[in-house]
Amino acid sequence: MVDSKKHSHPLRPDLPPHIASGESKNRVMMKTCVAMCIPAILGVAAIGWNALWQILIAVATVLVLHFIIQVWERSTERMITYPSPSSPLVLGMIVGLSMPASSPYAVTVGVAALAMVIFKYFQGRVLYRKYINPAAASKTVLLAILSIIILFEDPLRVGMIFHPHHLRLDMISAEGFANAVAFYQTDTMTAAQSLIFWKTHGWIGGASGVGVLITGVIASYWIKLKWRIPLAFLVVMTVLATTMGLFTGGDPVSRIALHVFTGSVIFLAFFMATEPQSTPMPERAQYLFGVLLAVFTFILQLGGVLGGSIIALVVLNVFTPLFDKFGHKRAVGLGGGKHVA
Amino acid sequence: MRRYYEEKNRFRVDAQMKIGLEEIPFEEVPPPPVATVFLQQHVGPAGRPLVKEKDHVKTGQKLSDGDEPLTVPVHSPVTGTVINFADLLHPVSGEKERAIVIEVDGDEEWEYMEIYQEPEKQSKDKIVERIREAGIVGLGGAAFPTHIKLSGQQVVDHLIINAKESDPNLACDVRLMLEKPEEITQGIEIIGRVLGVQKIMFATRTSEGELPRLEKVLHEKNITLAHIRPSYSVGSERLLVRELLGREVPPDKFPPDVGVVVHNVATCVAVAQAVIKGKPLIDRGLSFYSRETGGRNLWVRMGTPVEHILQYAGLKPENFDRVVLGSIMMGRGVPDIRVPLVKSIAGVVALTPQDEAPFENPYPCIRCGYCDLVCPVDIYPSLLLEASERGNTKFIKKLNVEACIDCSLCSYVCPSAIRVNPKQRIASN
Ligand code: SF4
Ligand code: SF4
Repeated sequence: MVDSKKHSHPLRPDLPPHIASGESKNRVMMKTCVAMCIPAILGVAAIGWNALWQILIAVATVLVLHFIIQVWERSTERMITYPSPSSPLVLGMIVGLSMPASSPYAVTVGVAALAMVIFKYFQGRVLYRKYINPAAASKTVLLAILSIIILFEDPLRVGMIFHPHHLRLDMISAEGFANAVAFYQTDTMTAAQSLIFWKTHGWIGGASGVGVLITGVIASYWIKLKWRIPLAFLVVMTVLATTMGLFTGGDPVSRIALHVFTGSVIFLAFFMATEPQSTPMPERAQYLFGVLLAVFTFILQLGGVLGGSIIALVVLNVFTPLFDKFGHKRAVGLGGGKHVA
Repeated sequence: MRRYYEEKNRFRVDAQMKIGLEEIPFEEVPPPPVATVFLQQHVGPAGRPLVKEKDHVKTGQKLSDGDEPLTVPVHSPVTGTVINFADLLHPVSGEKERAIVIEVDGDEEWEYMEIYQEPEKQSKDKIVERIREAGIVGLGGAAFPTHIKLSGQQVVDHLIINAKESDPNLACDVRLMLEKPEEITQGIEIIGRVLGVQKIMFATRTSEGELPRLEKVLHEKNITLAHIRPSYSVGSERLLVRELLGREVPPDKFPPDVGVVVHNVATCVAVAQAVIKGKPLIDRGLSFYSRETGGRNLWVRMGTPVEHILQYAGLKPENFDRVVLGSIMMGRGVPDIRVPLVKSIAGVVALTPQDEAPFENPYPCIRCGYCDLVCPVDIYPSLLLEASERGNTKFIKKLNVEACIDCSLCSYVCPSAIRVNPKQRIASN
């Protein structure tokens, strides 16, 4: 007989299950990084090497800070909040891809640092969860702080992270809108074509709107992203843009091109608005989240805040715990089905 | 080549342990030197002992019984002497429970019940009483007394035989289908006649032609063979009823409440043996797996200590550090290999230190929603996890935790290596 008293390793009475799918947080993060490499490559191809430096600076900043935080956590014998660099790496890439290539490097470093230390590390450590999207929150805060630069003579050169003249754009009338989008026109492409296929301004991650759209759809399938959010967001943005175009008598295609394919919408839709921790879990709540994100973003865009989607996202993130309470599916066996006893 | 079960939203369950296992015939494990028979081996009150210390008992002799409707007797799996009554660790409840310890001695003597050569000539009441007397309970894992399911308290129109065996480590039901097709069919006929059902469905995940003998006899008896898609979760009784008949069983009810009775295929064999041969439930088939030995299908007497099974399989103590009883997805690890086999256990897995312990170092939840996507009953394990961590009982109730079938799929897919299982978690809180 086997003598359990002589057993060299005492048995572990683990609870079930005893096998797992093999999917890990690191793998999910690495898949997200791989998916983001496509918009990164397209961004560098469209905008140039400066786009690459921006991405690398953001990633490097975040990874260095991750290392410093880990050293500090170890030396003070604290629990390690982010043992693996995979999740900071994703954050670094999102920050890099959501910056315009023209951003002063110091501003990129600032956005990445704020995102990593306050909105990722602090939220994770103190609140045990990210309630708001770190990259979006960091950009929003810096946007507010750096708005003071508007008083400088050449604010863009000094570190302004949005184009102040955008606030004066007339985004409502057909003529005003046509003037606004004309900025994207190139020698070979109309403004709409440039916005949809190949733009050299705006968020690096949104350089090719169509490229991001295709990558986003594939990534949603591959990583099982919360695809209902980008779907609702982009559909409602398209509907609003078309309606506005028809209503004001302008070109609906240009409207769609600007409102939907601008980097702050198309890149944010797939890679920021699907950030798992800060977005709702129930499917119907995800649709509602996407719809409201579209409405707020559209209103901000009409007001000339072209990158307003990050503000809309941060505001909605705050309400995610509320969204989680609604739109639950009917559990199997709990009424609604015709055969339920 | 790997083998998978397909779940909702493109998730897959690895059924690697099953590869080849279905081809391995049952081997009979010799009786252990000492058998430990728990009085409690079913859902319902345990019976009172009918023997005392130093009594000589025969194989198949009734050891306990009671008057409560849900009580079922237990029988001696061996011939020997009762050496002790003790409160020992129960392999399923994890609590100390009363057991009769029997030391095997002398030549094996048998005490079976009267043989019903023509069971169709017996009254329904007599058959139901025989099934109770034989100590038969659901052998698919639930251990619900079979005679209660046959008592005809509700009007049922369908009998489903669950031969789905979707747990990734079990193949003993497939072996039964290959080795005992006649007994299976006899058991189904007996049960069907008692219930007086209009339709009998035999649910299996095997494909057409894989079980030629069984398929032939089922066809002859006009029993519908339902080939179910290869999915782990559909093996659950409630989901099987929905899959086959589109009827949903509320969490506080049972299949008979929606006009369906479900019996496991192994229970059918036990019913046939009890009614036709007079044999009480004293042994069963189970699947054994360890990385060292590979898979085996074993025919084991109840009360056999797990250590005896491991020894039979040729495992040395240094070869394993975790032993799981039942399904690798739903069974608990046992703290002591001296625990014995009880009626509901269909599998034994011995995991080595080299086998992955995937839930050892959990991370905080990243709210990826994978657990919600895979949950076969459409509740929100992620939100239940949050609510239970915060002690938010109101929200837990709103999230319908009672609908959870404890299938563990939510934990299986979790990239943060969290044992999410809401029912388990809430119970332990
Ligand atoms: S699968 Fe795990 S990490 Fe993902 S939401 Fe569920 S519990 Fe959280
Ligand atoms: S254990 Fe419960 S919550 Fe988890 S997947 Fe299964 S039924 Fe859903």
